[in-house]
Amino acid sequence: MRLGEALQINNTPAAEAGRTRRLHLVCGFTPLHLETFAGARARLRLPDGDVHVATGLFGDLEGNLQRASKAGGDGAIVALEWSDLDERLGFRAAAGWGAQVLDDVLEHIGGKCARLEAALAALGSVMPVAVVAVTLPLPPLTHYPPAQTSLFELDLRSAVTGFLSRVGGLGGVRLVSESQLSARSPHAARHDAKLDLHAGFPYSVAHADAVADLCVECLCPAAPKKGLITDLDETLWKGILGDAGPGGVSWSLEDHAQPHALYQQLLASLAEAGVLIAAASKNDPELVRQAFERRDMLLGRPQVFPMEAGWGAKSAAVGRILRAWNVGAESVVFVDDSPMELAEVSEKYPEIECLRFPADDPAAVVALLHGLRARFGKSEVREEDRLRLRSLESAAALADAQTAEAPADFLARLDARMTLEFSDSPDDGRAFELVNKTNQFNLNGRRYEAGEWTSYFRQPGAFLITAAYQDRFGPLGKIAVLAGRADAGGVRVDTWVMSCRAFSRHIEFQLLRQLFGRFGASAIRFSYRPTNRNGPLREFFSRFFPEGLPEKDGLDLTAAGFERDCPPLFHEVSIHGQRQRQAC
Amino acid sequence: MDNVRDKLAKCFSLAFPNLDPSRIPRFTAADVKEWDSVAQVTLLSLVGEEFGIDIDFEAFDGATSFEALAGRLKEMGIG
Repeated sequence: MRLGEALQINNTPAAEAGRTRRLHLVCGFTPLHLETFAGARARLRLPDGDVHVATGLFGDLEGNLQRASKAGGDGAIVALEWSDLDERLGFRAAAGWGAQVLDDVLEHIGGKCARLEAALAALGSVMPVAVVAVTLPLPPLTHYPPAQTSLFELDLRSAVTGFLSRVGGLGGVRLVSESQLSARSPHAARHDAKLDLHAGFPYSVAHADAVADLCVECLCPAAPKKGLITDLDETLWKGILGDAGPGGVSWSLEDHAQPHALYQQLLASLAEAGVLIAAASKNDPELVRQAFERRDMLLGRPQVFPMEAGWGAKSAAVGRILRAWNVGAESVVFVDDSPMELAEVSEKYPEIECLRFPADDPAAVVALLHGLRARFGKSEVREEDRLRLRSLESAAALADAQTAEAPADFLARLDARMTLEFSDSPDDGRAFELVNKTNQFNLNGRRYEAGEWTSYFRQPGAFLITAAYQDRFGPLGKIAVLAGRADAGGVRVDTWVMSCRAFSRHIEFQLLRQLFGRFGASAIRFSYRPTNRNGPLREFFSRFFPEGLPEKDGLDLTAAGFERDCPPLFHEVSIHGQRQRQAC
Repeated sequence: MDNVRDKLAKCFSLAFPNLDPSRIPRFTAADVKEWDSVAQVTLLSLVGEEFGIDIDFEAFDGATSFEALAGRLKEMGIG
């Protein structure tokens, strides 16, 4: 992005209805073009409102971190350069580069890092923080020839690496990837010596844009895709299963089929991280079963669900997979070597991203693998991610079993156990994730940014309830989240979501029963709002409001009305969390 | 020359979006309170980008009006 384009974006009036996000740009140098690009990149990524970028004082990174923590906001970009660790490492200082000076730099850098770490921990506790560190070259400080690394630089980088390693583990802090930055901003073109000396701004325009873009991406990452559907022949392996047989298909280096091994490896890794993997292949199911029994397969059969092998149209198989997963087509990637199959699926499901597996071009395969990693990338893998596939299989088994007997009898024999956690803290990452990705059982479709979520729990009486569930079909993990406020005015639920994997188990009824019980409330106000996708939530409330639900905001459910229409519940309930608030 | 003045006016309107574009040719730093040292660097960076030139900031010292900037560009053989 050019500087003029960035200013044009910043100068365009924001959508009036949207809210203004407060972003801190924390650095020790003059923020200048980095401020401009940070604002523009943030506005592009968050087009529904305005962005205000707050900056600090020149030469006072530590103080700027502390001031940002106190001020609060929706996020912070921290750009840390060598001169912030020690002024003598910058180009604007003239304190000498002698051996004694360099020894002194090394002696003091640990203390500086420790103070910055404490300040970053404080900032990360109040808002999400993206940190980009030491992106610029060092001045020619030592006597070594350029081709040789000096021990001084090694010691310096070692101290910084240790510091960043600790900072990367702090809650709320995300480190910008140096390899991604290098891909977008070559090292030699980063420093603008003229601007550095003239205005105290050390970045070239292109580098400022790259830094801003990656920092904003770290703060507001795109929602990852949820599932990948793969073809088998000439995609997951080399060869045609029907011709070569299960022993004849290959994915080894020796057989010149390594790209398929890399692809299998990636899919197995994605599956471990909770990405849904399914196969759609025009093949004999028995041969596919035998191929997956090979001990050298890198993608295990249990990691693939559903396995759609048959002779029908690929799009029909994809349709069955989407139903089994219960996810929207826009969250799915389909990979096949055949342009014809890709076109057929794309025509039926235009929202699915269809990618060709370029088996004959290793460089293109490597690019595909990087692209897939990026589409499914997430900062954290949780227990629920690991349980997702198993719980989908459980849901399918449960659906089959449920048809065989009366619903109440069936639920009574599920051995269902619910664990409820009550708290007043925003720190549960899984709760935040569920709130921001659940569409169907969702009270009002409200999404939160990290800073907003933190602010929500600063309100008097704010509470959070999460529910984890398991039954004889297996654990589902943490699958429901309810956030509200309880004060003298009553109990109000602002957010309520439940994973679609948890439907049909009456978890939602039990959660409300516990909510009424916890607060001793005679009625609860729900910030209900119909959306295009929250039909299951609407259906749930319709049981209590047979005369119809309000079309606009809010509904009140009484405890008596709830109990009157609540079905029999059979869960064994455990409750954790000491911070109980009695109100109303 | 008109093209140079148009391009320069575009830089001014990006650097000072709240000012009346029709008055840009008469702007001086003394009239525009937003025109501080940081704005000057932004304006000169925009000029460098717009005209594809490497800006020597010192060479533009004192160029604190539309006409002065246009004059410096002319001295550099632009326009």
